[in-house]
Amino acid sequence: MIPMRYPQTRRRFGVAAGLAALTAAVTACSGGTSVGGTASQPADSGKVQGAVRLSYWGSGQRVELTNGVSDLFTKANPGVTVTPEYTDFASYWNKLNVQATSGNMACVAQMQGRQLNDYATKGILLDLEPLVKSGKIDVSQIPKNVLDTGRGTDGKLYEIPYGAAYDSIMINQTLAKQAGVGDPAADWTWDGFESYMKKAQPNLPSGVKAVNLGGGLPNYFIEYVQAQGQKMFDGAKAAFPEQSLVDFWTKWESWRKAGLTTTAQEKAAEAPQTEQSFIATGKVLADNKPGNQLGQAQGALTGAKPGQQLTTVALPSGSGGSGTVLFTSGFSIPKSCNNQATAASYINFWVNDHDANTLFSSNNGADTNQKELQAQIDDPKLNAATKHMLSLFKEIVAKNPPTVLYPAGYQANFETAFTRAYQQISLNGADVKSTAKSFIDNLNSALASAQ
Amino acid sequence: MSTSAPPTRPPARALSPIFPRRPSRSRLVRGVARHILLILVLFLVLYPLLWMVSASLRPPNQTFNTLGLWPSGLTLDNYRVGWNYGTLQFSKYFLNSFVISTLCIIGNILSCSLAAYAFARLEFPFKRVLFGFVLMTLLLPYQATLVPQYVLFNHFAWINTILPLVVPKYLATDAFFVFLMVQFIRTLPRELDDAAKLDGCGHLGIFTRIVVPLTLPAIGTTALFTFIRTWDDFLGPLLYLNDPNKWTVTVGLNGFLDTTGVSAFGPLFAMATVSIAPIVGFFLVSQRLLIEGVATTGIK
Repeated sequence: MIPMRYPQTRRRFGVAAGLAALTAAVTACSGGTSVGGTASQPADSGKVQGAVRLSYWGSGQRVELTNGVSDLFTKANPGVTVTPEYTDFASYWNKLNVQATSGNMACVAQMQGRQLNDYATKGILLDLEPLVKSGKIDVSQIPKNVLDTGRGTDGKLYEIPYGAAYDSIMINQTLAKQAGVGDPAADWTWDGFESYMKKAQPNLPSGVKAVNLGGGLPNYFIEYVQAQGQKMFDGAKAAFPEQSLVDFWTKWESWRKAGLTTTAQEKAAEAPQTEQSFIATGKVLADNKPGNQLGQAQGALTGAKPGQQLTTVALPSGSGGSGTVLFTSGFSIPKSCNNQATAASYINFWVNDHDANTLFSSNNGADTNQKELQAQIDDPKLNAATKHMLSLFKEIVAKNPPTVLYPAGYQANFETAFTRAYQQISLNGADVKSTAKSFIDNLNSALASAQ
Repeated sequence: MSTSAPPTRPPARALSPIFPRRPSRSRLVRGVARHILLILVLFLVLYPLLWMVSASLRPPNQTFNTLGLWPSGLTLDNYRVGWNYGTLQFSKYFLNSFVISTLCIIGNILSCSLAAYAFARLEFPFKRVLFGFVLMTLLLPYQATLVPQYVLFNHFAWINTILPLVVPKYLATDAFFVFLMVQFIRTLPRELDDAAKLDGCGHLGIFTRIVVPLTLPAIGTTALFTFIRTWDDFLGPLLYLNDPNKWTVTVGLNGFLDTTGVSAFGPLFAMATVSIAPIVGFFLVSQRLLIEGVATTGIK
């Protein structure tokens, strides 16, 4: 019971009421984004009009190129606006998680295979198969095993991949020639990898190691498993044999102890940016790096050790075939999008329009559209590093690399845990077998609870 | 037998030319030693910052050449290039950061001091329980409230505006400052309030004429820490400010880095140095306020 007879109370009440009214007024006239509710128009019958938001990761040149493609799209579709939202790769996922939870994801959201199932298994993304079947999104130029990297664990298509990144072994050709080993063979195996390093190490300048310590890099292990012809994941469980992990870590430990690799302390202190990595500063002969970082690394190496040349070769294969894995980036449409027709049209434009692909020029991994890829390889104005990256991708795709299906929870539970587990072995001398067993057990229970 | 007065002991001071009095000398030595030690520790602690400033003065391709402080080729190129690097526009970002920080400071000072006065001076039902709730919000990690807040602001259609960052400050959501001011106000003697009541002041009068002038140190502290927190806030602007024209300095600095592309470290360090300057300036200014506030007392 608020006693209104005192002028102070009345005044206070008035102030409170005024504040409440002010808040209501502010809400009404805010210029903010409206709520992303359930789709008001099904994509198949909707027209290409209105506004869509596009969220992606990148900065600098990537932003300019993406905005350029969006401008081409709006020119081709008058009346449509594309609003970009971008940030760097790590923050992108933090932001996307919050947006996804509140149903406010952008209509065209960039995705990667490794995180796809975190969203697909929670029913956040739209199944794009009907759009593909009806021809709204033309994927005829994308090879089947590349397109399959956009599928969820239930087999439905949730992402249209437009750029394929792959890991490669980056070789310092100058040091290789000095060491008397030259470039490795294009179809070398893991045994060939070992003998290549052993042959090179004694002839390398002092302080330079044959290979950067790779036992803690998750991608290396995935590629090793593929090379043995084994599967990484089966649904939400690890499908690779424990022995493979033990072999992998034992190999790296024997190479480390033989002095072929950087020390565990050096590896732990290596900066994550490409320009500061050991391979880009001339401290190692070989390292596992994404194929599309050749240009950057070369630029840094020319500054640090003028005259030294880098190149990339495919990862070593094994008894089971190619050891290369494709990491694709693509676009998805969330179920909460209220302009699915325009979103689908944008994705189709991105993947198929010739001017758009020429402008973007495989900036986020090799173009998955084979026709556009060939046009870029044939372009005489393309710089040598990018051309090499695209040609290597063409060779890799021709070998039918198997697709890895990452279950939900992969990003959060595999990558960091893998590196830490190997650091236990390399820095603290833990036993390989027991570390491998506990890693796999923890992984399985974490993946099971992430579904 | 002498009848003269017994010889008095010579004063200790007579010995001073040959053996100086030890306490003052060792105090000087101790003082110098303490200062040297403090300066060394300060230098160690500040080293990364000093390195960053010196790296911002080096040409871009020499940024990581050395861990030393001395720039081999002094250049202001990084500052020039960084200000409008690519799609980044730091003049906009600094303006946005200033606007948001200023609004947040005003909001925090107004709402937290009012709330603190209520808890410290007024009597109302469930006062202790409510104060307990306020303190309990201090224990909540921000991750717990992140998503519900986002959902709420999405409902209000406040996404892509500064409202989610500013409006909560006008509702005394920063429990830390409420608590700080409550403790401060509790130390003020109630006799002052009674004196003001005798002169015809209501609660608002007591608040504005007695409590606020005496709580200036706490208000200065609130302003300083609010400024630092909002200036350095990254996740809030990242989530709520989608339009690049609305970005703050922290989100803008993040735009220099891209692990999937090319990072520009020279301009990044240059802009980071510039973005630290307001915090240092603000700290220096409010330090004086804090000291002045402590020096004056209420009993004139």
